[in-house]
Amino acid sequence: MSATVDAPAILKKNYLTALKEAIDEEMLRNPDMICQGEDIGLLGGAFGVTDGLQAKYGNKRVVDMPISEAAIIGSAVGMALNGKTVMAEMQFIDFISCGFDQIVNMMATYHYRTAGEVNMPVVVRGPAGAYGGGALYHSQMNEAWFCNSPGLKVVCPSTPYDAKGLLKASLRDGNPVIFFEIKELYRRRELEEELPSEDYIVPLGKAAIRREGTDVTFVSYGQNVYHCLAAADELAKQGVHAEVIDIRTLVPLDEETIYNSIAKTNRVIVVNEAPMTCGFAGEIVARITTNAFDLLDAPPVRITRLDTPVPWVKPLELYVLPSVEKLVNAALQTVRY
Amino acid sequence: MSNKSATATAEKAEPDQQPVVSRPSDLLTKEERFEMWMQLYLARYFDVRLIKEKKRGRLRGTLYSSHNQEAIIVGSLFGLKPTDWISPIHRDMPAFFMKDIRSGWENNDRIGMSVEEVCAQVWGKVDSPGRARDNWSHIGSRSKRIIHSTSMLAGTIPVAAGVAYADRLNGGDSVVITYNGEGSTAQGIFHEAINYAAVHKLPVVTIVENNQWAYGTPVELECPTPDVADRAKGFGIPGLVADGQDVFDVYDKVMQAVNHARSGSGPSIVECKTFRAYGHGDHDDDRAARYRPEDEVVQGRGRDPIAVCRQRLLELGDIGSDFAEKWVAEGKSASEATNEDFPEKVVEYLNKGIDFAVASALPPAEEGGMWVFYEGGSK
Ligand SMILES: Cc1ncc(C[n+]2csc(CCOP(=O)(O)OP(=O)(O)O)c2C)c(N)n1
Ligand SMILES: [Mg+2]
Repeated sequence: MSATVDAPAILKKNYLTALKEAIDEEMLRNPDMICQGEDIGLLGGAFGVTDGLQAKYGNKRVVDMPISEAAIIGSAVGMALNGKTVMAEMQFIDFISCGFDQIVNMMATYHYRTAGEVNMPVVVRGPAGAYGGGALYHSQMNEAWFCNSPGLKVVCPSTPYDAKGLLKASLRDGNPVIFFEIKELYRRRELEEELPSEDYIVPLGKAAIRREGTDVTFVSYGQNVYHCLAAADELAKQGVHAEVIDIRTLVPLDEETIYNSIAKTNRVIVVNEAPMTCGFAGEIVARITTNAFDLLDAPPVRITRLDTPVPWVKPLELYVLPSVEKLVNAALQTVRY
Repeated sequence: MSNKSATATAEKAEPDQQPVVSRPSDLLTKEERFEMWMQLYLARYFDVRLIKEKKRGRLRGTLYSSHNQEAIIVGSLFGLKPTDWISPIHRDMPAFFMKDIRSGWENNDRIGMSVEEVCAQVWGKVDSPGRARDNWSHIGSRSKRIIHSTSMLAGTIPVAAGVAYADRLNGGDSVVITYNGEGSTAQGIFHEAINYAAVHKLPVVTIVENNQWAYGTPVELECPTPDVADRAKGFGIPGLVADGQDVFDVYDKVMQAVNHARSGSGPSIVECKTFRAYGHGDHDDDRAARYRPEDEVVQGRGRDPIAVCRQRLLELGDIGSDFAEKWVAEGKSASEATNEDFPEKVVEYLNKGIDFAVASALPPAEEGGMWVFYEGGSK
């Protein structure tokens, strides 16, 4: 017999499976948890994130909802008020706008306006992001809307490990969380990784350093983290060593990790897929200029989507979005500043 | 039946052709009927008194009067179990302290807010259930089973549905009552939420207080169907119409819907036809006198729920003719009415609430920055 028979098979998992495991394990652990969304039960979700859960937990706990985003979120609020934890799926994060009022006025404010009497263990999650030809209404990153609504936490994982750990942390947080999943990463092969077999979480509000460097800091989240890493590869060939920070959660934001990096590199480029004006990159830059101004040798730079919707066909889409090329150019300019 | 007219409803409701087997109100005792009458006075006095306090400059903020609509509050609450949930809005301020008041006005353990707490909220004091963080009716209590209201019209109906869903999942038999104006039935969330509740047969009763006006807009510009209750047809659920001036008719229709809900048959809409006696809020009294035709206003105020109830009690012999001229609060505006127009018990009850509110402190300023996030972690 060959030795490989006894060696434990290394089972690598993708981002989507990681999410599914997080929900499944939390459903098992917490009998007061409910999942609801469009097509999440019988079908198992448009992308399959909830595949098999209804068969396992029944249609009372994994609920196929009418196409009513506001009712999906509003009823989740009512369930939370009555002792439940709720995972509410948006079929695409773009459609969250249809439930916007229930999120920002009803759910986000609940703890505040009840002076702490009621808290809202509700996670609204859904597939987000561009670069897939999804066009205007299946490509959005509308995270800034929610960062601007006090009372919400905002999370955006970029790896399978983080996807699982952050989703579990979100479901246990007790605050409403808007959870941005990057659908382009759902099944990306090169990201597959082994996940711990034991229960783990990734705490909200802790950034990750994805690559160390000394000359310039990229700060990003979601899919753009990979553009930053690719740009760092390019830059290394030209002798420029970029550090890449994945903030992982926008609210709360781990500012310390960002400032520590800038203390080393003295230059920063903040990257996100959302449009520039009032986007989260702008918020990060504002905090850096207020709190770490003395560390900077060059003005902080934002690389974001143009202030446009996300167009459909590839040349148009790539034209408006951050790209490796744009990042490399920006980095070279900033180190020469 | 016309959408516009509360009086038309009354004419239709009076001589009921079908042999009436038994209405829930037939089972009320004489004492209970009298208690409902007293509760109408309590709701009215709350309104009258707050307007007087405001005119004296003792209150800030807008008052949304429930004057002439008290039968809806009293009639809908009276038959509930203490553990049922309610979701009142701006027009239902007395509902917050009248939930479960049946179990004793002085009963501190009842599952409803105390009049002291509600007055503290009106005065913007720290003893408000919401520590005066949001204004007017925007309070609630999980333990008292009152869903916290917000400004967003119809916005609490999905919350009510979620509360109901969770209750059923827990094996409970609670019913959730939501209150809405007729204008609010034009909101998208009204339809999304009731559709969801109907699909899942959730025990949610949506009361529509059709007072004919949504701020400056008449009902026919809000709702195209003859009765607002006709909206129920699209959801395949009962749509009942009650005479909102008659506390016993409201009680009957709401109990019918509540029993339907409790038995697992699903939600209903109960439209209570009434009339907004004054402005949308007290800031609107002067303008409302101009944008609404005078004859409509005179007619709309013509069937005061206190008088309708008094008449019924006289007919039933519950009260003698000595009560015919006693406590004549009906038909009087806040400035016309005096304490003598109300039962002493009512005046004393509210006085205690107001004294408490006046003595209560403002919340410490730094509370403005607190409770944005919950710190405790969850299950
Ligand atoms: C979503 C929303 N839109 C507008 C308003 C402003 N507003 C407050 S009350 C009101 C009229 C409500 O009319 P109706 O539903 O008939 O209730 P009523 O005040 O007559 O009891 C309006 C337009 C609001 N509070 N919420
Ligand atoms: Mg109205």
